[in-house]
Parts: sequence; structure tokens; C-alpha cells
Amino acid sequence: MSTVQGVLDRVTRVPGVRGALLVSAGDGLIVAEQLMDGVDGRAAAALTGSLVGRLTRTAQQAGLERPAFVHLRAEAGSVLAAPGPDDLVLVAVVAPDANVGLARLEMIDAAARLS
Amino acid sequence: MRALEPWVVEPLEVFLAESSARLTLLMTSSGQVVAQHGFSRSLDVMTAAALGAGIVASTEEIARLMGVTRFAGLVHHGERQSCMLSAFGTPRGRWIGLVVFGPETSVGIVQLFFEQMVAQLVSSAPREQAPPPTLAENFESELDASLKALFGRT
Amino acid sequence: MSEDIRVLTARLADEPSSLAFLELAEALRRRGQLDAACKVARGGVSRYPGLADAHDLLARVLSDQGDLAGAFDAWSSALQLDPMRAGALKGIGFLYFRAGDVVAALDHLQRAAQADPDDASIPVAIARLRGEVRENGGRHEAPAPSPAPPAATPFEGIEGGEEGFLLVDGGGLRLGGMLRAPSGEDLGDRVAAQLAGVSREAARATRILGLGPWHSIAVESPNGQLILAAPTADTVLLTARDHGIPLARLGLLAERAARAARSWLERVG
Repeated sequence: MSTVQGVLDRVTRVPGVRGALLVSAGDGLIVAEQLMDGVDGRAAAALTGSLVGRLTRTAQQAGLERPAFVHLRAEAGSVLAAPGPDDLVLVAVVAPDANVGLARLEMIDAAARLS
Repeated sequence: MRALEPWVVEPLEVFLAESSARLTLLMTSSGQVVAQHGFSRSLDVMTAAALGAGIVASTEEIARLMGVTRFAGLVHHGERQSCMLSAFGTPRGRWIGLVVFGPETSVGIVQLFFEQMVAQLVSSAPREQAPPPTLAENFESELDASLKALFGRT
Repeated sequence: MSEDIRVLTARLADEPSSLAFLELAEALRRRGQLDAACKVARGGVSRYPGLADAHDLLARVLSDQGDLAGAFDAWSSALQLDPMRAGALKGIGFLYFRAGDVVAALDHLQRAAQADPDDASIPVAIARLRGEVRENGGRHEAPAPSPAPPAATPFEGIEGGEEGFLLVDGGGLRLGGMLRAPSGEDLGDRVAAQLAGVSREAARATRILGLGPWHSIAVESPNGQLILAAPTADTVLLTARDHGIPLARLGLLAERAARAARSWLERVG
């Protein structure tokens, strides 16, 4: 199993994770994905790539370094993002009862191993 | 933004708002312009429409030679601006979209909302009889009338 | 100065990280030295943010000082850490009673009774509340509160004051708060300009992905962290801190600040 698929596999095994994908943030395109039915990977890639880019600029304007983790929480679930090297971002779409703490740890670790 | 047909306006407005596209051209596969946004000169519109239709026709021929179904679209990545060309079917025949965008958006966002626009165009196109084919002797006067409508000059 | 306060003060001075602050602040509070009690209690909360006792103590001091909003927040924090803390449940019940919300007051007192069945004062308070409800036909009129002057800034009374918060309108213009670089440079306007776009993008992303309205965005960087929230439909609140505060606790702080911002907007809007 390739490194990328291994990374996606680890993230999707966390309870409550409905899908994981590796995104090229600047393009908003999918590099690799592992998604359950009902998760629109293309939309997730495009929208999360754009949002992470904007949050990175906001954080930098606020004097912070490039984000290591982003958690967008909504009424019916969350989108998690862990920027990696070379403009890649590891993204997960999770249910409201997901173990976000565990997903976060797996994603930060996985994103670091992508280089 | 200007359009020859009123039912094109709302889907195109939504696309422009969501995608942050800088220039957009919708045309028939023969290069007849249906709607435009961002162009300031009629000559640029005509040139872009003709070139865009030509590029799509060439690309579809390549696909045919390869034995594959049509390509969904093509993207040219530039240093400061990029361009996407995509052909799609409507009740009014095959159309082409040409979108120019900058680094403030992304190809993923443009493609995502372009597909949504296509779905809206298909669902909102009036289901009436197709207009008769354009005769050569009417072409110039029709083109002239279209360009005047697209640039707001009566 | 009484002997016990002297001893406790000496103990705390010798060992600032000890829990002696709990006894000291309580002793000062009982003697009516509320400013000193508040100072000791706040110091204890900042050193032990995960200790429910510390928040409960701070709430009691603030309540005695008349800062009921601050007391509510501190008791809420205590309950986040210890949902069965009878003292906090009683305290919040009392505050709801003062605000005229008898139903909420009864709910909290009943939970307090479950948490501490040996506290004889709780059943008495419940019986009294129920009696008042029966007499007034289900309505309770709390004593008319003295009108609070509108806060000058959205974050008055919130720990940290204005610093590290930024309230922004839909057009990316600052409504309140302050964000400074380590050099002292004011970063607020530049960050505010970015925030309106962030809110729109977040709303769009969660809508298209079928996740409903967005509630918050947490951003972790190696040298700090941010929480973004929307106190109202057309404002965004940024709360920024370094890593000295755990992210979940920063989330509570952001929620408290969002409530304060919402109240302020209602008053000045």
C-alpha cells in the first residue's frame, strides 16, 4: 500500500470519519481519496483548499506561522484539515460524534509523514 | 455581465459570484456568443469565441482519434491567469464555456461552480423549438445585433 | 490582618503554586475584602484553569461583588469541568432566580439536590420557589434590576479585556477588540479585512457539503492559536492566544466572548 493510501487508511479508521482525502490546496483538486457514499470529494477538495488558503493568510496577518491544523465545526459535522508539504492538505469530513481528538492526532502525524 | 437570453442570467451570475472568475464567455459550439462577463471590447469577444470554439473542436477530434469519449474540459495554467474551456450539452445544443481566472480562486472552485451552472442552465433552458439554422447572409447582421446586445449598445 | 489570613498569605508567598489560594480567597471573601479575594482567586484560576474549585471560588467572589455576568461565566466554567458540582448549580440557580427565570432556576436547584442530597438548604430553596410559582400563577417577578450601563467595549469583564479579540462586521471592518504583534504593532485592521471573506467561505463550504450552518473554526499554528465564531449572522469574532491555554479552554473563552459581543451588539445596535 502506498504511503498516501496508508495515510488515508489510518485517518478513515478513526470512529466518525466519513471520508479522507489528500488535496492540492492551490488547485483545489483531489490527489487521493477514500470516501463514504454521500461525501462529495470534489466539492470538499475545492472548498477546503480555498478555505485553508484564506485561513493561512489570516493567521499570517495575525502574526502566526503556517497552520498545522484546522477544525471547521458545523451543525451536522466538521471538516478537519492538516496542511502538509508542497501545498498538500490532508482533509477529513467527520460526523458530529466523531472522535475529533484522535482524528486530529492521526492527521497531524500523517501530514508530517507525507514529505 | 450581459446575456442574449434572460434564462442564462441567473445561473451565470451565481457562477461569477462563487467562482471569482475574471472573464467568462458562453458560446455555441460554432462560436456564436450567448453571454459574456468581463470583456471590454467586442473584438476580444469575437476573437476569444472563435479561438475557444476552435480549441474545443480540435480537442474533441483528438479524443475521437484516441477512441475515448469527449474530454470534460481543458485547463491552461498561466503564471498570473489561467483559462478553462469546457463543452457541455444543453436543450439548445452543445455550448462551450471559456473562463479566465486568477490566483484569488482555484481551478477546483471554478470547475465545481461551472458544473453547478451547467446543471442550472440545463434545467432552466426553455423547452421550445430550436431556432432555425443561421443562414450565411443573415450571419453578419445577427452577429452585429448580438454584439450590440452583449455590450449594451442599442 | 487576622491570623489565618496571615498564615495563608505566607504559605502562598512561599509556594505560589500551592492550592492555598483557595482557602485564602475564601477567608478574604468572608471578611468582606472582596477586591483582594478577587485578585487571589483570578490568580488561582489562571494557574489552575482545569480546577473546578478555582472557578467556583471566583464565581462566589464575583457574585458578592455584584458582577453577576462574571459569576455566571465562572460557574459555567466550573460546571464544564465538573457537571455535578452542587455549589455551581446552586449559584447559577440563584442567578436565574434573580433574572426571573424560575423554570431554569428550579432545574438547576433540582440538579444540585441530586448532586448533594445532604445539603438541607437546597430542598428549602426549591420549596420556596415552587411556593412563589403557585402564588403568582406561574409568573415570577424578580426584583427590578438596576439598569446596567452599556459596556464601552464588547469584551468588558472578559479575561484579557480587549487584547486578543477582534469583532468584525460583514464588510471586514473592526467593531471592537485589539490584536497586536509582539512588537506592539496593531494588526487588527489587516486581520479584520480577511475575516469577512473567511466567514463567507466557511458558510459556503458547510452548506455545500451538507453540514449545515458553521459554528466555529479553530486554527492551530506552531506559535499560537485562533478561534473564529459568528456572534451574529453578519459579524465574526476572532479570539487569539498563545499555547499557554489549552485549545478546548480557548473555545470556552471564545464562546463567552461571543455571548458578550452579542449582548453588546444588541445594546448598541
